[in-house]
Amino acid sequence: MSSDSKMKEFNQELLASLQVIANQGIRNAARGFSKLIGQGLMVTDPIVRLVPFNEIPNMLGGPEEEAVGVYLKVEGDIPGQMILILPHPKAIDLVALLLETPADSIQSLGALERSALGEMGNMTGTFFLNSVAEITGLSVRPSPPAVIVDMVGAILDIIVATSGGMGPNVLMFQATFVYGDKQAETDFWVIPDPATLEIIAQKVANS
Amino acid sequence: MLNSISVGLGEEKVSRLSTDVLVAYGLGSCVGVGMYDPITHVAGLLHAVLPEPLNGSEGYTSKYVSHGIQILIDHMAKSGADPSRLIVKMAGGANMLISPGLSQTFDIGTRNIASALANFARMRIKLVSQDVGGNIGRTVRLYVANGRMTVRMIGGLEKDI
Repeated sequence: MSSDSKMKEFNQELLASLQVIANQGIRNAARGFSKLIGQGLMVTDPIVRLVPFNEIPNMLGGPEEEAVGVYLKVEGDIPGQMILILPHPKAIDLVALLLETPADSIQSLGALERSALGEMGNMTGTFFLNSVAEITGLSVRPSPPAVIVDMVGAILDIIVATSGGMGPNVLMFQATFVYGDKQAETDFWVIPDPATLEIIAQKVANS
Repeated sequence: MLNSISVGLGEEKVSRLSTDVLVAYGLGSCVGVGMYDPITHVAGLLHAVLPEPLNGSEGYTSKYVSHGIQILIDHMAKSGADPSRLIVKMAGGANMLISPGLSQTFDIGTRNIASALANFARMRIKLVSQDVGGNIGRTVRLYVANGRMTVRMIGGLEKDI
């Protein structure tokens, strides 16, 4: 099936169902995130939208900015990808929160710090997927997390390379978590595979 | 004063203005191919994303390494470059995920490089130098004034390739 016909299927009903999944999933993900950092947080209302693939690297500062990505692949009935992205200084703040140490005691992101961030992604992703599984009745599980410290553009190439071949646009759910006295922010993106959209569309049609 | 021109995902740009620098920021698995005609001083940079179309449905675009190289050469020829004189360099093609259990599915960097090399061989293009692979992103610059091509990694300095 061509990407054009996939887009035609992209009707309002499907979009509405995706919005429901995104809302519940991301709120639940925020609960997982909050549990791990041991404090409350604010989560923006998730946006479900189609983004031209070549705009993705510009969605977070410049493509050359240093950032940290925690990436999880979604496996099971409805495959996709999830990524938490935060600017490097914010990642240090988050690690300090997770490890309960002052931020200025953390010089760089070594094995321990990366592992803490990986656990953060794991928890957030698992909470998101639990919610999706509950809503759809389908089976989903996250891969082990991969923590990447690099330029924004290079990190996002993972998303671009895996979804950019599908068509000119990429469907994503986006939300931002805001927490801590420093108002640290973390972006949480979910990118369902095109095949996943068909499965959800069928579910919607049959319900 | 130098003027940076960003070459985004799936784009190719050509310039003959000596004050221009063509830049592809933060290349991860993407590949940057720079070409330069030392006589007419025409420079071109390609920022390709994937080796080739998955099912041939998406037409002819510089998003793909296999198409992008030819598109860039044609564009350069139109701008006054002689294809037989082109100095060709390449950078990028990192494999961004090294986590166990994920790495196997993410060899797009390697496949991009392989596609570029196969196309160069087929088109009898000589690759002068390259800085490819690994698992770190790169910013690539091509200076129109003299054809200098550089690579910078995170926290590092710009180095010539």
